[in-house]
Amino acid sequence: MKTFEEKWTAWLDGQLSGKELADFEASLPDLAAAEAERRDAHKLGAFLKEQLAPQALSNAEFFSHQLHERIAREDRAGDRGTRFPRWTIPRLVWSGTTALALFLITAVWLINQHQPGQQSEYLTQILNSRVDPVANPNATVYIFQSKNQNKVTVLWTEGLQSLSADYAAK
Amino acid sequence: MQTETTPAQADVSELELVRRCQAGDTEAFDQLVIRYRTRIFAMIYNMVHNEQDAWDLAQDSFVKAWKSIKRFRGKSSFYTWIYRIVMNVTIDWLRKRQVKAGGAEFDDAIQLKEIDPASKTVPKANPLPHQRMEGQEIRARIDRAISQLSPEHRAVILMKEIEEMQYHEIAESLGCSIGTVMSRLFYARKKLQNSLRDVYENV
Repeated sequence: MKTFEEKWTAWLDGQLSGKELADFEASLPDLAAAEAERRDAHKLGAFLKEQLAPQALSNAEFFSHQLHERIAREDRAGDRGTRFPRWTIPRLVWSGTTALALFLITAVWLINQHQPGQQSEYLTQILNSRVDPVANPNATVYIFQSKNQNKVTVLWTEGLQSLSADYAAK
Repeated sequence: MQTETTPAQADVSELELVRRCQAGDTEAFDQLVIRYRTRIFAMIYNMVHNEQDAWDLAQDSFVKAWKSIKRFRGKSSFYTWIYRIVMNVTIDWLRKRQVKAGGAEFDDAIQLKEIDPASKTVPKANPLPHQRMEGQEIRARIDRAISQLSPEHRAVILMKEIEEMQYHEIAESLGCSIGTVMSRLFYARKKLQNSLRDVYENV
């Protein structure tokens, strides 16, 4: 459904025809006044067309030259932007994920490399059997041995009051 | 729509030029610029009433067109497409200018003193001094009347009356419905009739 303004504009520009035209003209309270208004609008249109007709662009060649230079400059800037891409959100997410994965892989590898020695159950049992349970009722002895080339052995004792003179850890 | 072309240039279809532009051919874009630069400059000038601003806005519009030409699918004509860019750039500029002016009505946004009487867009037919003076006064009245319209109303009336574009072409250029175009045209005409009647009745 067209508004009055739309119908009026269409009528003024000769865009109404048939029943639509007849209906609109019948709806006008004063057709003669409307016709005068239409002539006035046409006069305005012709006047604007005459007064505002485009003239040749002064320095048209310079206009094109300046535009050419600007486009070339912006294209070069665009190329640089392509070589050094902006940190968009997807790129940030991917970069973060990759960095995290690399960190985890390195950390696991380093932990494996520097793993502390494992407790030796067999030696621990031997050592505990040599401790006098009467003199050391709450004593606990553990022995750890590293697997790497350094051959480090750690003796961990708790609650040990005394040791016999011939005690030897190994 | 009239364009600024030589017969040799006219042989090359606009669509062909656009395809070449999309492949990165700046020479093809130059030809499109030559075809439309005068009309686009005049259109912008009639909206902003300042030659330097019109020049800069026309440059901005063409640069934007070059940057986005790969997205042109040919669903509308090239000039409708580029007019849409021109209108976006110009209306946006006018709106920002209005904000800078402290939200003044468009009556005050562009002062009469800013209009250059020696502008190249003033009709040049080597008139006599008194005729030239009269022509300048008429032009100043028109510019003042147009500057009292909102940017959208200016665009619609200029595209219809000066460019002789169809409603659907104006609608495509402004990204609005045909009904909106017709409604804006109604109000723009009424305002200009009220403010310029004494001028065009006596010319």
